Amino acid sequence: MRLTKDTGPPVKPVRGRGDSALTRLLESRWLGWLGLALALAAPLVIATPYALNVMTSAAIFVMLAVGLNIVVGYCGLLDLGYAAFFAVGAYTSGVLATRLDVPLLATLPAVLAVTVVAGVVIGAPTLRLRSDYLAIVTLGFGEIIRIVATNLTVTGGPSGIYGIPGLFGDATSGAAVFYYVTVLIVAVAVLLAARLGRSRIGRAWRFIREDEDAAEAMGVHTYRTKLAAYVAGAVWGGMAGVLFGAHLSAISPASFTFLQSALVVMAVVLGGMGSTPGVVIGAVVISVVPELLRDLADYRFFAFGVLLIVVMILRPQGLWPHRSRETPHTAARSKGTDHAPG
Amino acid sequence: MRTRRVILTFALVTTVSTACGQGLLGGGSKEEEKGPILVGMDIPLSGDSAEIGPYMRNGAQLAVDEINGKGGVLGRKLQLRVEDDACDPRTAVAAANKLVSAGVKVSVSGYCSGATLPTLPIFDRARIPMIIPVANSAELPAQKLRHVFLINGTGDQQAAAAFRWLAKEGAKKVAVMHDNTSYSKDIAVRTATELDRSGAPDKSVLEAVTPKESDYSAAVTSVLKGNPDYIYWTGYYAEGGLLIRQFKQAGYKGRFLVGDGSVATKLAEIAGGKNAEGVYATMTPTPETLQGAESWKAAYKQKFNADPGPYSTQAYDGVRLAAEAVRKAGSTDGGKIVTALETMEGFTLFSGPLKFTPQHTITGGFEIQVVKDGRFVLKEKI
Repeated sequence: MRLTKDTGPPVKPVRGRGDSALTRLLESRWLGWLGLALALAAPLVIATPYALNVMTSAAIFVMLAVGLNIVVGYCGLLDLGYAAFFAVGAYTSGVLATRLDVPLLATLPAVLAVTVVAGVVIGAPTLRLRSDYLAIVTLGFGEIIRIVATNLTVTGGPSGIYGIPGLFGDATSGAAVFYYVTVLIVAVAVLLAARLGRSRIGRAWRFIREDEDAAEAMGVHTYRTKLAAYVAGAVWGGMAGVLFGAHLSAISPASFTFLQSALVVMAVVLGGMGSTPGVVIGAVVISVVPELLRDLADYRFFAFGVLLIVVMILRPQGLWPHRSRETPHTAARSKGTDHAPG
Repeated sequence: MRTRRVILTFALVTTVSTACGQGLLGGGSKEEEKGPILVGMDIPLSGDSAEIGPYMRNGAQLAVDEINGKGGVLGRKLQLRVEDDACDPRTAVAAANKLVSAGVKVSVSGYCSGATLPTLPIFDRARIPMIIPVANSAELPAQKLRHVFLINGTGDQQAAAAFRWLAKEGAKKVAVMHDNTSYSKDIAVRTATELDRSGAPDKSVLEAVTPKESDYSAAVTSVLKGNPDYIYWTGYYAEGGLLIRQFKQAGYKGRFLVGDGSVATKLAEIAGGKNAEGVYATMTPTPETLQGAESWKAAYKQKFNADPGPYSTQAYDGVRLAAEAVRKAGSTDGGKIVTALETMEGFTLFSGPLKFTPQHTITGGFEIQVVKDGRFVLKEKI
């Protein structure tokens, strides 16, 4: 077993000329703001109900992908049942809002609690497994949640729940307002996920992804840390579920199939595992491209599939891969407390 | 400096948007009252129910061409605009919004009940009358939306027809089976509730199976334990055919009744040999069982070089009904079309003369069909 990586330092040697303009731009701290500005400006260009609907769906999908990125991208745990948490969030808020007439925003604490519990319940037994086994078991849990929702009366059985109010009461707010609220919530979620990735626990997650045994040896409590990643992913997924229910006004088990989980994984892989801007772009591509290809009618998913394959051949590392190199900013900060080179 | 760039981008985008006129700041686009009247259709063209979509699209296109051949409606031509809902709620909502954005005046949409449900408020809010040709879950009229009409028989009507037939046949013990989809379970549960009444045939079991499996022996064994002499399957034909075959193999001697989702010649093919002979079905009239539909079938065949399939007639009827309502309303205004639909009388569909109930559903319309030489033929009206 390999405990240390001696194939070279993970830090890329900086070339003599310094960073190119493109690299500087791509690593600019203002990039996120630029993305947010683009998202906020989009309805000024086109605001038909269809465009707003597609953009809102894309924003919700970004939230899902960023959540899964915590699990798959940061921590390297392949979760094929992520739609389970999406479903848990959507159903919890949907049931509370329609049966107990709780305003949708007031269901958030309950959704938070239920998704954390769901994350722990599903994560506790599965995270003892590794790689392939973890993928299979999460896939199983994804199906379990969907089939339970199909068979319970409280979740409306196969026809699901309908008549879910909007975020601020019933249908008073238009699609544009809902879009803006969604974008702001998703922006906060993306920011939090990105900060989480750079935090102490984020570094622990990446350590586990690179070498679990080495992490354990260095004193990282791997099981607990992995569970934390899983629960964080669950919370993100659950919150996206709340938005999803408010957006569609109706949810049914048909929305939480394995295909949904697979699409989220695809968004993460396509964008670049562990890279926040990459995953955001991957999610936008995965959710918007099928709509752009609508005119191809019967060949829609054929074209979509070919496109994905082409992207994966041309950019196997993802559209915008994560670069594990220190920015001049962090390098300067850690200069004082330099440790011995490994 | 970067902040300035951001502001610059914003200003630029705003300028562009005003020029395009489709953004939030742009003025509302001018109503087009000269071109063709757009009829929207939100149906599955991909996904699990993809094979139904073309049948419905062709049926609708046939109606559009016929009406245009006679000069259109209000001096304007009709134009069909089809979008794929993939039988998936999220895609269906996007498709419905796309139709609304395209400016359709009437929508003839809906095959899968689960995917149709979330699209109802979208059309209703846009004040676009929606005629649902096929989807018939009881939850659709339960929304009580002003612009939504159903022209297929609903689940409770089908359950009532099934119950009447079972009682008439003198069934003693009935096993009701469904596939856990919204539509199938609805009919099954309603039938089972009727059967639970005293004096009716006994219900032996209400059993659900998982769709798309290849072996249902566990369900077959469990059902046969109750010794039923009649089995009512409310799901689709693929599983229906398999179930009939496996029940026969297990030595079941009683009779079968299937719901309208199983009425397809494929049922007999999947059941194999003579297994499906004599299987009864609760179904709305199809071109095969209609008198005088030969010329319609011939026209369809000539146009699309294929036989009409399930729900071609409903889509055809839906478009004709929409056109008639627009003509009667004398305008493409949603409210006026709804009033025209509500007061519509004496307009004949394949299923008979149309008159909407206050719930915007139609009455009756179910008949009993039986498999003869591998095809469903009319047994009797019920």
